[in-house]
Amino acid sequence: MTISPDEIVLFQYGWFKINATIFFTWLVMLLLTLVSWLVTRKLTSEGPLTRWQNLLEVLVSGIKGQIYEVSRQDPGPYLPFVGTLFIFIAVSNILAIVPGYTPPTSSLSTTAALAICVFVAVPVFGIANQGIMNYLRQYLKPTFFMLPFNIIGELSRTLALAVRLYGNMMSGTIIVAILLTITPLIFPVVMQALGLLTGLIQAYIFAILAMVYIASANQARQEIAEKGEK
Amino acid sequence: MIIDWYTTIFQIINFLVLVFLLRAFLYRPIIKAMDTREEIIMEREEDAATRKEQAEKEANEYRDQRAALEEEKEQILEEARVSAEKEKNSLLEKARSEVDQTRRRWEDAFEREKETFIGELRRRIGQQACHVARRCLSDLADASLEAHTWDLFIDKLKKLPEEEASALEKALTGEKGAFSLSSAFEPDQEKAEKLTGVLKELLSADGLELKPSLKENPDLVCGLELEAGGYRVAWNVDSYLEDVEEKILKELDHTAPAEEEVAEGDESRTD
Repeated sequence: MTISPDEIVLFQYGWFKINATIFFTWLVMLLLTLVSWLVTRKLTSEGPLTRWQNLLEVLVSGIKGQIYEVSRQDPGPYLPFVGTLFIFIAVSNILAIVPGYTPPTSSLSTTAALAICVFVAVPVFGIANQGIMNYLRQYLKPTFFMLPFNIIGELSRTLALAVRLYGNMMSGTIIVAILLTITPLIFPVVMQALGLLTGLIQAYIFAILAMVYIASANQARQEIAEKGEK
Repeated sequence: MIIDWYTTIFQIINFLVLVFLLRAFLYRPIIKAMDTREEIIMEREEDAATRKEQAEKEANEYRDQRAALEEEKEQILEEARVSAEKEKNSLLEKARSEVDQTRRRWEDAFEREKETFIGELRRRIGQQACHVARRCLSDLADASLEAHTWDLFIDKLKKLPEEEASALEKALTGEKGAFSLSSAFEPDQEKAEKLTGVLKELLSADGLELKPSLKENPDLVCGLELEAGGYRVAWNVDSYLEDVEEKILKELDHTAPAEEEVAEGDESRTD
């Protein structure tokens, strides 16, 4: 019924190809980097702020606040990763309002890629925080027999994250497509607006879940540390 | 709906690149700017706190200073009050003493005036008495009072005690016989010659020529006075008049309070 943006190949040279997903991802990346660079080029710490600086400060401090709410830890190390997840997904979804644009998040490949990133980030942050041995020991808790379940849990968590984002983005696109066949005028616009909302919510949920996973690994370590102290 | 692994790997790389790009261009500068601002705000707050503290300190200092000034003012006022009181007292004292002085002066003046008045009165009374006596004598004895006075004076000379007579003689000898004869009336040449004769008889020293010089002196009040080289023999109504004067003075003293009242009236006028 709908074609995944992966299948729209814009450029191909041998095995190297650029499809719509990659192209629009680059577009989003370019946009984000350009705006960030333009704004942060002339930051001020005193006097009145520019509107753009204000916007970005609200965004960054908002993300920091959310990370702290979830993890109860210093948001500094997690901010670039979790913040980028949120901003990338949110901007990708919001741009769906632009005609001719296909959100890269509506490709299962992208959502899988993001989920894999989270999947890798959880142990990376865990090891960075508590060392490799302490981290690996968690898989043997509470007993050695729990190791397979811990590993399955870790994998399923990643898969669920990927499918959740993909499913939500796809459903929005598919609903619009169905409605277009039934009522080609006006109503799809409402759905499109609703799509923007769900897109933002998905971005939020994805980022928060990623943070929860990362934080849970660290919280387990904190609990151990606290027990050790006792 | 299948996952395209090629795209997936591409997207993983894309995402990681984006993470680093945003870290470099977004998070780091923004957080740095926010931290700097926070620092500035903290600095300002600290500065404000310091300044406030300082201001409070200064305010306290000024309050203390004002209190000290107030105290000083009170002290100065008190001193001024005391010195004003002293000044007032001294002025009052001065005024009082001046009034006393004036009063004393006035009293002295009054006393003098009184004496002058009494003197004048005595003279007038004497004159009047003489006048009355003369009238009586001339009317009754058919002799002038003056003649009678001369007779009385000559009589007095005749009855002069011995020591006084010798003193008179001594004086006359010192003046080589020159003496002055003062009378209240026009001198009577005849009587004067008679008196010179009596005087010659009285004196034991012979060869001394007596040279009388006659003078008229109304102050004598019906009397005669002989004066030679500081020695004096006199007769007049003074002794009688003195009695009258005494009585008049007594009378005046009796009416003194009434006169003082008048005097005070005068004083208030002179002030």
